[in-house]
Amino acid sequence: MIIRKAVIRQGCHTRTAPTRPWIRSLATEVDVQSIESSLDNSLKQTKSIESQVQNETTKLVPIIDSRTHSTLKLLEDKTAEKYKQLQRHKKLTNPLGSSIAPHYKPHLLVNHPPQPSEITLELLLASQAHLGHRTSHWNPLNSRYIFGIRQGIHIISLDVTAAHLRRACRVVSGVIERGGLVLFVGTRPGQDRCVVKAAQLAGGCHLFERWTPGSITNGHQILGNCKTKIVDEFDRDIPGYDEELRDRPVLKPDLVVCMNPLENWVLLHECSLNAIPTIGIIDTDVDPTLVTYPIPANDDSLRCVQVIAGVLGRAGEEGQKSRREKAMQGNVTYTPIVLSERVSTKGAQTGGSAKDIRGPQ
Amino acid sequence: MTSKLPWRVTYRLSTQCPRCLSRLPPRRTLQTTTPKLAFTAAPPVDLESLPPQNASNARIVPASPSYFTGRPDSTDNYLSLLALLRRYQTLPTVPPAQAPRIAWRTVTQYRLLVGEPVRASKYHKIIEVLQRLNRIHPSVMPPELSGAMQIYKRDVDPHATVRKPLVVDEDGRAFGVGRRKSSSAKVYLVQGEGEVLVNGKSINNVFGRIHDRESALWALKATNRMDKYNVWALVTGGGSTGQAEAITLGTAKALMVFEPALKPALRRAGCVTRDPRRVERKKPGHVKARKMPAWVKR
Repeated sequence: MIIRKAVIRQGCHTRTAPTRPWIRSLATEVDVQSIESSLDNSLKQTKSIESQVQNETTKLVPIIDSRTHSTLKLLEDKTAEKYKQLQRHKKLTNPLGSSIAPHYKPHLLVNHPPQPSEITLELLLASQAHLGHRTSHWNPLNSRYIFGIRQGIHIISLDVTAAHLRRACRVVSGVIERGGLVLFVGTRPGQDRCVVKAAQLAGGCHLFERWTPGSITNGHQILGNCKTKIVDEFDRDIPGYDEELRDRPVLKPDLVVCMNPLENWVLLHECSLNAIPTIGIIDTDVDPTLVTYPIPANDDSLRCVQVIAGVLGRAGEEGQKSRREKAMQGNVTYTPIVLSERVSTKGAQTGGSAKDIRGPQ
Repeated sequence: MTSKLPWRVTYRLSTQCPRCLSRLPPRRTLQTTTPKLAFTAAPPVDLESLPPQNASNARIVPASPSYFTGRPDSTDNYLSLLALLRRYQTLPTVPPAQAPRIAWRTVTQYRLLVGEPVRASKYHKIIEVLQRLNRIHPSVMPPELSGAMQIYKRDVDPHATVRKPLVVDEDGRAFGVGRRKSSSAKVYLVQGEGEVLVNGKSINNVFGRIHDRESALWALKATNRMDKYNVWALVTGGGSTGQAEAITLGTAKALMVFEPALKPALRRAGCVTRDPRRVERKKPGHVKARKMPAWVKR
């Protein structure tokens, strides 16, 4: 197509007499007439000309060492120098040109998520939180969250979404302030990064692959080999209690935040059996009674999930900060566990069992 | 008036500002004498220090944020590799054929390493990330990254083992080993007139069949070198055919030490491949390995 347009633009004389080197390279296999006729044909024929031209040109194949599979002199081809030059050039030219601000940067939602105070209807609208499913797929229990119908789909009320999201933030920060363990779950592809980041901010746990059924109800079997540790009010590790930890029951989360409750109904059922409150993104086709604190929003939009996970992570971060501040003032917000074998912290640095550290008695 | 200042003042005690004609305090000079009172100021105030550790405020938390996955170590490994990839993804890469050839750990070895029931599909994802990281150009590869990848490499690198090249020794002998069926032959080849000794005896005494004699020396015959080399062979095991064919392979290998360029010719002659066929065992319900007893209607 491109060749044809260029030819037409140039004029008739170019069409009748193509440039000399071009003819010579194709003289042995293709004649000019057939090229002209194929220019009027479909793209398929034009591509075959390209392949013919490519076959004519000689390609240099680098010699590959059979053992290491590297080309000879790979370390001497000046790639490092060229890369440094490129970095220098980028540094010089980056400030030049026009700056487009403000504009949407997808990575900021994951790496620097918004604060709970930054929840606005504009943000939720921009992240497609208002888009529900087809009206025929709805769950009537969600009717209180739906604003209306547009183009065959239900539209979720964003003011309701914002209110529920703020409530969920308060719950998350409250639980973490009291030394609770929050589990962030998001098992759809692409949700792993935001869930891991939210857990990191909140000091909780993450899960971005399939939930193993029975991890709470049959925790000893499934999570029995996963290590736990003892920390003080400032999150400092207290070593020397390995034996005690082995006898202790497996940990359960104090709050579960789920980005796709429809796929993780088993997890939510286990939580309900163990009186663990849950927060979840409820779309128009999802049963809102699956979770304790529903957030009516679009669970199919990755951007919406990133906003919600990010905001809840930030709420967790605030909760951690508040707990630490209270601990600095001497106010321990959680009920400490009673350790049966008292071991001096100095001796516990060896990391052995309590009996070893105490010595013969 | 003697100065009470611990440093020497090199010029006037006060200087005059040229603009406003006001008197300015003297500027401290760079040259100072050592002060008579040697002391260091107190350390800065520590507003961040925490009270000493108290085991009475203990609580149990997971050792890893991947606690509820059931496979915390492998999940953390995968996440750290992904983080490294994101960090170094703009570095120049080489095509996969030119990347260094590395033997990564097998699924079984990785499971033993982490002590978790890791799914094979999950481990293949880890390998994919490692292969992409391995494609970073060696001249710009960060040392931190090569350290992180080392854990996933096999303890023994199979690609590092290089076969010792067979050479003609100081007595002019080339050595080759050949096996066929259950026979094993050690063959020494020297430049000579064409004498052949098998187990110390002449080849005519060892192999009664002409076919066996011819096949034993097929490597030399096919390359027209019957009168150029002397053969000394030690054969054990098997029968006449097996021993003869074993000598064929042994002579061919020894000949390739003298003349490596003969390999394609010897391959065409059928002397290079070790024939893997062995006698098949007898099975229950069969008369021999394959033969079944006659079928009876009732």
